Amino acid sequence: MGKNRLPSQKRTPWLLLGPIYLFTLLFVALPILYLFLLSFLRRAEVWGVDFDFTLENYRRIFEPLYLNTFKESFRLALLSTSLVALLGYPYGYFMAKMGPVWRRRMLLLIMIPFWTSALIRLYGWIIVFRSNGVLDRLLMGLHLTEGPLKLLYTYPAVVVGMVYSLLPFMILAVYSCAEKLDWTLAEAARDLGASSLQAFWTVTFKLTLPGLLSGVVLTFIPSMGLFFIADLLGGNKIVLVGSVIQEQITRGRNQPFAAALSVVLLVLTTLMIRLYRRLTGTAKLEGLV
Amino acid sequence: MKPSICRRALALALTLAAALCAGCGQSPQGGEDGKLGGELNLYTWDGMFPQEILSGFEEETGVRIRYSNFDYDEDMLAKLEETEGGDYDLVIADDYIIELVIQEGLAQKLDTARLESYADLNPVFMSQFYDPQNEYTVPHGAGIPLLVYDPALTDVELTGYEDLWDPALADSVALTANYRVINGIALKVLGQSYNTEDLDVIRAAGDKLLELAPNIRVINDSNTQDFLISGEVAAAFLYTSQVYLAMTARPDLEMVYPKEGLGFGIMGAFIPSQAPNADAAYAFLDYINRPENAAKCAEYTGYYCTNQAAEEFISPEMRKFLVLPATSAQGEIVQNISQEAEDLHSEIWNQFRSACG
Repeated sequence: MGKNRLPSQKRTPWLLLGPIYLFTLLFVALPILYLFLLSFLRRAEVWGVDFDFTLENYRRIFEPLYLNTFKESFRLALLSTSLVALLGYPYGYFMAKMGPVWRRRMLLLIMIPFWTSALIRLYGWIIVFRSNGVLDRLLMGLHLTEGPLKLLYTYPAVVVGMVYSLLPFMILAVYSCAEKLDWTLAEAARDLGASSLQAFWTVTFKLTLPGLLSGVVLTFIPSMGLFFIADLLGGNKIVLVGSVIQEQITRGRNQPFAAALSVVLLVLTTLMIRLYRRLTGTAKLEGLV
Repeated sequence: MKPSICRRALALALTLAAALCAGCGQSPQGGEDGKLGGELNLYTWDGMFPQEILSGFEEETGVRIRYSNFDYDEDMLAKLEETEGGDYDLVIADDYIIELVIQEGLAQKLDTARLESYADLNPVFMSQFYDPQNEYTVPHGAGIPLLVYDPALTDVELTGYEDLWDPALADSVALTANYRVINGIALKVLGQSYNTEDLDVIRAAGDKLLELAPNIRVINDSNTQDFLISGEVAAAFLYTSQVYLAMTARPDLEMVYPKEGLGFGIMGAFIPSQAPNADAAYAFLDYINRPENAAKCAEYTGYYCTNQAAEEFISPEMRKFLVLPATSAQGEIVQNISQEAEDLHSEIWNQFRSACG
């Protein structure tokens, strides 16, 4: 105990941090530990698990079927995240450049859909995409197509649903970063002879990269788990890891295998994020991951 | 003036409160006017009973119903394992899971003498694999998944499962999402049993099923009838309640009893081993099996009525959906099979789903 410090000064941080540590320990660390242990057990004949150690659950993941499921999940997550970044970055960037009134309006436009449940909004997309639905009628009305197209329950429909659901996270992340940007730096670059594109690329983009990166993280991680979008808009025809996990817990009554799938998903997602940070050289950017 | 109004208002409020308390005290605690009273913890899927039946029972017996619902049979099993057969007084679930519940000792034997309408139950739906001696369960509704197609959207005249493979139905078929039932279609086409544990036979059925993939437009377990009603698909394989909804909404659709053989499923009611209020469960079973009430339940859920005495109370236009045709009672039930076989089914199913996409 330092001589000059009052005892209360030293204790206060612990008192304040205690609940958060306790919360993290109870609701994050322990469940992950439980998941990890469960993944090495054998399922019981009818329900629950038998306590004998096995690597069988992990071996099973290496069967082509499950490897393919992981591949499919990553493919969809990568595609959705890239599209979200392409659409969300300009939106967040230009929103930050607007006057305060328009900023608030733009922000409101992003927030309003959140007042409705995500599931209900996806059903909205079903109405748009289904046979003889809104989009079909529009296309037929414009004489671009003749009969109803089969738009729903296709891969593009799933991608649209994913991008739609995740876009706000990217916009808000980029916006909050671009908003704090010191625009005089870009002006300085222009003064020193950079073209507007050069100034953007060398100054503005670099400075908003943390926003883009946190947007990518906020998009990529959930997109690995949003299997209900693939189920609803893809008609259950795209098999993602999330839906296999759900099936193994319910119909399959195989909790250990579901746990092993979850552990592998967790590890792979972490690795992907680290790899991404390494490749983009953003490992040192603060406040992330 | 003022204080007196206040006092009068207070007195009125107190009287009202007292009356309210008297009212609420009566029904749940019960015992008064010879009523049974107490609570019935009912655990089944959402929407299994019309409000009329639930309210009618509460009024007659003074028992308050606490209705909890599950989505998957397996969730129910997990709950009963956790509570060791307690907490719930009456559960209604599917045949195969009841077999496991009984195996795990989580159901109690029924005293059928306490059920007045026991003799009315249709024997076709009893003495099945999950409860061969009828010791634990009372059937409550049954289903046969059927094919339904839209003659306006396809020239194929479906008579059996095999017609679903017709190339003319490319990207035009909707399926439910229970893998044992869907893989079972392929098994039936190959002339096999749903419940074979021969892995080679199951693999052969898996290969057959993969050939169906190009025809699949959507796989969905709930409200599958909507795809037919809206014209999204030309043919679908549906659960009984969905067949009923589809045919009611679109009488121009055709309903087919597949020639390869029928699948059959029975929902059974049982009392968990440590049910807190088994008396209420018996009272409820009795109430829902009175002929008029059983008819109302069947009309509400759209499943086959398992009570013979109730058949005459079912409205004539609904009878063809709710009363099992005598000839089709020979269906096969999906039963529990070895873990290896079950795992193989699950793998085939996921392969099939990926191939459809």
